Amino acid sequence: MSSSTDNDLVARAVSGQDSAAFGELVRRHQSHVRNFLRKLSGDYTLADDLAQDCFMHAWDKLQTYSGRGSFIGWLLKVAYTTFLQSKRKSKRYAEILDSAGHVADQESRSHVAPDDEVTDLDKFLAVLTEEERAIMVMSYACGLSHREIGDATDMPVGTVKSVIFRGKQKIRNSFDIKDHKHG
Amino acid sequence: MTLKIINMAEKIKDAEDRLLESLFESPPLADDGFSARVVSRVNRQLWFRRLTLPVAAVIGGAVAFKPLAGLVMTLANLSFLIPEDIVIAASSSIPQFQTVVLGAILLAVGLLSLRLLEE
Repeated sequence: MSSSTDNDLVARAVSGQDSAAFGELVRRHQSHVRNFLRKLSGDYTLADDLAQDCFMHAWDKLQTYSGRGSFIGWLLKVAYTTFLQSKRKSKRYAEILDSAGHVADQESRSHVAPDDEVTDLDKFLAVLTEEERAIMVMSYACGLSHREIGDATDMPVGTVKSVIFRGKQKIRNSFDIKDHKHG
Repeated sequence: MTLKIINMAEKIKDAEDRLLESLFESPPLADDGFSARVVSRVNRQLWFRRLTLPVAAVIGGAVAFKPLAGLVMTLANLSFLIPEDIVIAASSSIPQFQTVVLGAILLAVGLLSLRLLEE
Protein backbone atom coordinates (compact mmCIF):
# COMPACT_ATOMS: atom_id res chain seq x y z
CA MET A 1 0.00 0.00 0.00
CA SER A 2 2.82 2.43 0.85
CA SER A 3 4.22 2.11 -2.70
CA SER A 4 0.90 2.98 -4.37
CA THR A 5 0.50 6.42 -5.90
CA ASP A 6 -2.03 8.89 -4.52
CA ASN A 7 -4.22 8.38 -7.59
CA ASP A 8 -4.24 4.57 -7.09
CA LEU A 9 -5.27 5.02 -3.47
CA VAL A 10 -8.01 7.49 -4.42
CA ALA A 11 -9.32 5.03 -7.02
CA ARG A 12 -9.39 2.23 -4.46
CA ALA A 13 -11.02 4.40 -1.80
CA VAL A 14 -13.73 5.59 -4.21
CA SER A 15 -14.52 2.31 -5.99
CA GLY A 16 -14.55 0.01 -2.98
CA GLN A 17 -15.29 2.49 -0.19
CA ASP A 18 -11.89 1.31 1.10
CA SER A 19 -11.20 3.18 4.34
CA ALA A 20 -7.72 1.59 4.62
CA ALA A 21 -6.66 3.16 1.30
CA PHE A 22 -8.04 6.49 2.49
CA GLY A 23 -6.17 6.00 5.78
CA GLU A 24 -2.90 5.73 3.85
CA LEU A 25 -3.72 9.02 2.08
CA VAL A 26 -4.38 10.65 5.46
CA ARG A 27 -1.06 9.31 6.85
CA ARG A 28 0.81 10.71 3.83
CA HIS A 29 -0.68 14.19 3.87
CA GLN A 30 -1.74 14.90 7.46
CA SER A 31 1.45 16.82 8.22
CA HIS A 32 1.02 19.23 5.28
CA VAL A 33 -2.67 19.80 5.98
CA ARG A 34 -2.19 20.32 9.73
CA ASN A 35 0.77 22.65 9.20
CA PHE A 36 -1.22 24.63 6.62
CA LEU A 37 -4.18 25.03 8.98
CA ARG A 38 -1.91 25.83 11.95
CA LYS A 39 -0.30 28.68 10.02
CA LEU A 40 -3.68 29.87 8.80
CA SER A 41 -5.52 29.81 12.13
CA GLY A 42 -2.63 30.30 14.56
CA ASP A 43 -4.45 27.96 16.97
CA TYR A 44 -2.97 24.46 17.06
CA THR A 45 -5.94 22.72 18.70
CA LEU A 46 -8.44 24.36 16.36
CA ALA A 47 -6.19 23.54 13.39
CA ASP A 48 -6.12 19.84 14.29
CA ASP A 49 -9.92 19.78 14.69
CA LEU A 50 -10.27 21.50 11.32
CA ALA A 51 -7.82 19.03 9.77
CA GLN A 52 -10.04 16.15 10.92
CA ASP A 53 -13.10 17.90 9.45
CA CYS A 54 -11.12 18.55 6.26
CA PHE A 55 -10.32 14.85 5.83
CA MET A 56 -13.97 13.94 6.48
CA HIS A 57 -15.06 16.42 3.79
CA ALA A 58 -12.35 14.99 1.51
CA TRP A 59 -13.75 11.47 2.09
CA ASP A 60 -17.24 12.67 1.18
CA LYS A 61 -16.05 14.47 -1.96
CA LEU A 62 -13.30 12.06 -3.02
CA GLN A 63 -15.13 11.12 -6.24
CA THR A 64 -14.89 14.76 -7.36
CA TYR A 65 -11.07 14.57 -7.48
CA SER A 66 -10.38 14.29 -11.19
CA GLY A 67 -6.73 13.22 -10.96
CA ARG A 68 -5.58 16.36 -12.76
CA GLY A 69 -3.16 18.28 -10.57
CA SER A 70 -1.64 16.99 -7.37
CA PHE A 71 -3.76 15.36 -4.68
CA ILE A 72 -2.23 17.61 -2.02
CA GLY A 73 -3.35 20.64 -4.06
CA TRP A 74 -6.91 19.32 -4.07
CA LEU A 75 -6.67 18.48 -0.36
CA LEU A 76 -5.47 21.99 0.52
CA LYS A 77 -8.44 23.40 -1.40
CA VAL A 78 -10.73 21.31 0.85
CA ALA A 79 -8.73 22.46 3.90
CA TYR A 80 -9.02 26.14 2.91
CA THR A 81 -12.78 25.80 2.32
CA THR A 82 -13.16 24.05 5.69
CA PHE A 83 -11.23 26.87 7.37
CA LEU A 84 -13.37 29.58 5.73
CA GLN A 85 -16.61 27.76 6.63
CA SER A 86 -15.50 27.40 10.24
CA LYS A 87 -14.61 31.09 10.38
CA ARG A 88 -18.01 32.07 9.02
CA LYS A 89 -19.69 29.82 11.58
CA SER A 90 -17.68 31.19 14.51
CA LYS A 91 -18.37 34.74 13.32
CA ARG A 92 -22.11 34.00 13.28
CA TYR A 93 -21.78 32.38 16.72
CA ALA A 94 -19.97 35.47 18.05
CA GLU A 95 -22.72 37.70 16.60
CA ILE A 96 -25.39 35.59 18.31
CA LEU A 97 -23.50 35.79 21.62
CA ASP A 98 -23.07 39.55 21.14
CA SER A 99 -26.74 40.03 20.45
CA ALA A 100 -27.51 37.96 23.55
CA GLY A 101 -25.25 40.25 25.59
CA HIS A 102 -22.39 37.82 26.15
CA VAL A 103 -18.74 38.61 25.62
CA ALA A 104 -17.37 36.23 23.02
CA ASP A 105 -14.05 34.68 23.83
CA GLN A 106 -13.28 33.95 20.20
CA GLU A 107 -10.66 36.68 19.93
CA SER A 108 -8.73 35.37 22.90
CA ARG A 109 -8.90 31.83 21.50
CA SER A 110 -7.56 32.61 18.09
CA HIS A 111 -3.89 32.93 17.22
CA VAL A 112 -2.62 30.96 20.20
CA ALA A 113 0.88 29.74 19.58
CA PRO A 114 2.26 27.11 21.93
CA ASP A 115 4.24 28.15 24.99
CA ASP A 116 3.84 31.85 24.16
CA GLU A 117 6.74 31.78 21.71
CA VAL A 118 6.06 34.15 18.86
CA THR A 119 8.31 33.31 15.93
CA ASP A 120 9.24 35.62 13.08
CA LEU A 121 6.87 33.62 10.90
CA ASP A 122 3.98 34.44 13.27
CA LYS A 123 4.90 38.13 13.01
CA PHE A 124 5.11 37.92 9.21
CA LEU A 125 1.79 36.14 8.95
CA ALA A 126 0.21 38.75 11.21
CA VAL A 127 0.82 41.56 8.68
CA LEU A 128 -0.88 39.59 5.91
CA THR A 129 -4.58 39.36 5.22
CA GLU A 130 -6.22 35.94 5.51
CA GLU A 131 -6.18 35.44 1.76
CA GLU A 132 -2.55 36.51 1.43
CA ARG A 133 -1.61 34.24 4.32
CA ALA A 134 -3.29 31.23 2.72
CA ILE A 135 -1.66 31.84 -0.64
CA MET A 136 1.80 32.53 0.78
CA VAL A 137 1.63 29.37 2.92
CA MET A 138 0.47 27.29 -0.05
CA SER A 139 3.33 28.67 -2.13
CA TYR A 140 6.26 28.78 0.31
CA ALA A 141 5.36 26.12 2.89
CA CYS A 142 3.55 23.55 0.73
CA GLY A 143 5.41 24.16 -2.53
CA LEU A 144 2.26 24.42 -4.68
CA SER A 145 2.60 25.93 -8.15
CA HIS A 146 0.72 29.13 -8.99
CA ARG A 147 -1.69 27.09 -11.11
CA GLU A 148 -2.41 24.69 -8.21
CA ILE A 149 -2.93 27.63 -5.86
CA GLY A 150 -5.30 29.14 -8.42
CA ASP A 151 -7.29 25.90 -8.51
CA ALA A 152 -7.31 25.69 -4.71
CA THR A 153 -8.50 29.25 -4.18
CA ASP A 154 -10.64 29.61 -7.33
CA MET A 155 -8.48 32.50 -8.51
CA PRO A 156 -6.85 33.19 -11.87
CA VAL A 157 -3.10 32.54 -11.94
CA GLY A 158 -2.45 36.25 -12.52
CA THR A 159 -4.31 37.16 -9.33
CA VAL A 160 -2.36 34.52 -7.37
CA LYS A 161 0.90 36.05 -8.60
CA SER A 162 -0.15 39.56 -7.66
CA VAL A 163 -1.28 38.40 -4.19
CA ILE A 164 2.13 36.75 -3.64
CA PHE A 165 3.87 39.90 -4.87
CA ARG A 166 1.79 42.04 -2.50
CA GLY A 167 2.46 39.66 0.41
CA LYS A 168 6.19 39.74 -0.20
CA GLN A 169 6.11 43.50 -0.39
CA LYS A 170 4.26 43.76 2.92
CA ILE A 171 6.76 41.47 4.61
CA ARG A 172 9.68 43.39 3.06
CA ASN A 173 8.23 46.72 4.19
CA SER A 174 7.48 45.54 7.72
CA PHE A 175 10.59 43.52 8.54
CA ASP A 176 14.18 42.98 7.72
CA ILE A 177 13.76 39.39 6.59
CA LYS A 178 17.50 38.69 6.50
CA ASP A 179 17.61 38.35 10.28
CA HIS A 180 15.01 35.85 11.45
CA LYS A 181 14.43 32.74 13.49
CA HIS A 182 12.63 29.85 11.85
CA GLY A 183 8.95 29.32 12.57
CA MET B 1 5.06 25.98 -25.00
CA THR B 2 3.72 29.07 -23.18
CA LEU B 3 2.85 26.87 -20.20
CA LYS B 4 6.40 25.47 -20.16
CA ILE B 5 7.85 28.97 -20.12
CA ILE B 6 5.52 29.96 -17.28
CA ASN B 7 6.50 26.85 -15.28
CA MET B 8 10.21 27.52 -15.86
CA ALA B 9 9.79 31.13 -14.82
CA GLU B 10 8.07 29.92 -11.68
CA LYS B 11 10.96 27.61 -10.88
CA ILE B 12 13.52 30.39 -11.13
CA LYS B 13 13.61 31.63 -7.58
CA ASP B 14 15.52 34.54 -6.26
CA ALA B 15 17.28 34.73 -2.90
CA GLU B 16 14.21 36.29 -1.31
CA ASP B 17 12.03 33.37 -2.42
CA ARG B 18 14.51 30.88 -0.98
CA LEU B 19 14.63 32.85 2.26
CA LEU B 20 10.84 32.88 2.48
CA GLU B 21 10.77 29.14 1.80
CA SER B 22 13.15 28.48 4.67
CA LEU B 23 11.12 30.82 6.83
CA PHE B 24 7.80 29.10 6.06
CA GLU B 25 9.34 25.65 6.36
CA SER B 26 8.00 23.54 9.23
CA PRO B 27 9.22 20.20 10.51
CA PRO B 28 6.86 17.34 9.53
CA LEU B 29 4.26 16.68 12.21
CA ALA B 30 4.17 13.22 13.78
CA ASP B 31 0.95 11.35 13.12
CA ASP B 32 0.35 10.57 16.84
CA GLY B 33 -2.87 8.68 16.11
CA PHE B 34 -4.31 11.45 13.94
CA SER B 35 -4.90 9.24 10.89
CA ALA B 36 -6.33 6.45 13.10
CA ARG B 37 -8.88 8.94 14.49
CA VAL B 38 -9.88 10.03 10.98
CA VAL B 39 -10.19 6.42 9.76
CA SER B 40 -12.34 5.46 12.76
CA ARG B 41 -14.63 8.44 11.99
CA VAL B 42 -14.80 7.31 8.36
CA ASN B 43 -15.65 3.74 9.42
CA ARG B 44 -18.34 5.01 11.78
CA GLN B 45 -19.82 7.05 8.96
CA LEU B 46 -19.74 4.02 6.61
CA TRP B 47 -21.57 1.85 9.15
CA PHE B 48 -24.07 4.60 9.79
CA ARG B 49 -24.80 4.93 6.07
CA ARG B 50 -25.10 1.18 5.61
CA LEU B 51 -27.56 0.92 8.49
CA THR B 52 -29.62 4.02 7.75
CA LEU B 53 -31.61 2.68 4.79
CA PRO B 54 -32.58 -0.72 6.25
CA VAL B 55 -33.46 0.81 9.63
CA ALA B 56 -35.49 3.56 7.95
CA ALA B 57 -37.24 0.94 5.80
CA VAL B 58 -38.16 -1.14 8.88
CA ILE B 59 -39.39 1.89 10.84
CA GLY B 60 -41.24 3.25 7.79
CA GLY B 61 -42.81 -0.16 7.17
CA ALA B 62 -43.92 -0.45 10.80
CA VAL B 63 -45.43 3.03 10.76
CA ALA B 64 -47.05 2.58 7.36
CA PHE B 65 -48.33 -0.96 7.91
CA LYS B 66 -51.71 -0.12 9.47
CA PRO B 67 -52.76 2.66 7.03
CA LEU B 68 -51.37 0.66 4.12
CA ALA B 69 -53.36 -2.42 5.14
CA GLY B 70 -56.48 -0.22 5.40
CA LEU B 71 -55.80 1.20 1.94
CA VAL B 72 -55.39 -2.26 0.48
CA MET B 73 -58.65 -3.44 2.03
CA THR B 74 -60.47 -0.36 0.74
CA LEU B 75 -59.08 -0.90 -2.74
CA ALA B 76 -60.08 -4.57 -2.58
CA ASN B 77 -63.61 -3.58 -1.58
CA LEU B 78 -63.77 -1.05 -4.42
CA SER B 79 -62.91 -3.64 -7.01
CA PHE B 80 -66.66 -4.18 -7.58
CA LEU B 81 -66.63 -0.79 -9.35
CA ILE B 82 -64.78 -2.36 -12.24
CA PRO B 83 -67.41 -3.21 -14.86
CA GLU B 84 -68.39 -6.88 -14.52
CA ASP B 85 -67.93 -7.69 -18.21
CA ILE B 86 -64.28 -6.50 -18.01
CA VAL B 87 -63.74 -8.66 -14.93
CA ILE B 88 -65.30 -11.67 -16.63
CA ALA B 89 -63.34 -11.06 -19.82
CA ALA B 90 -60.12 -10.56 -17.89
CA SER B 91 -60.77 -13.55 -15.61
CA SER B 92 -61.08 -15.79 -18.61
CA SER B 93 -57.76 -14.60 -20.05
CA ILE B 94 -55.92 -13.76 -16.80
CA PRO B 95 -56.60 -16.01 -13.82
CA GLN B 96 -57.40 -14.17 -10.57
CA PHE B 97 -57.65 -10.72 -12.18
CA GLN B 98 -58.36 -8.98 -8.87
CA THR B 99 -55.17 -10.36 -7.31
CA VAL B 100 -53.13 -9.11 -10.25
CA VAL B 101 -54.61 -5.60 -9.97
CA LEU B 102 -54.02 -5.58 -6.22
CA GLY B 103 -50.46 -6.82 -6.74
CA ALA B 104 -49.79 -4.07 -9.27
CA ILE B 105 -51.11 -1.42 -6.88
CA LEU B 106 -49.00 -2.80 -4.02
CA LEU B 107 -45.91 -2.86 -6.24
CA ALA B 108 -46.46 0.77 -7.25
CA VAL B 109 -46.96 1.84 -3.62
CA GLY B 110 -43.85 -0.15 -2.59
CA LEU B 111 -41.67 1.42 -5.27
CA LEU B 112 -42.95 4.87 -4.40
CA SER B 113 -42.17 4.29 -0.71
CA LEU B 114 -38.65 3.07 -1.52
CA ARG B 115 -38.01 6.13 -3.65
CA LEU B 116 -39.24 8.40 -0.87
CA LEU B 117 -37.01 6.58 1.65
CA GLU B 118 -33.98 6.93 -0.61
CA GLU B 119 -34.61 10.65 -0.97
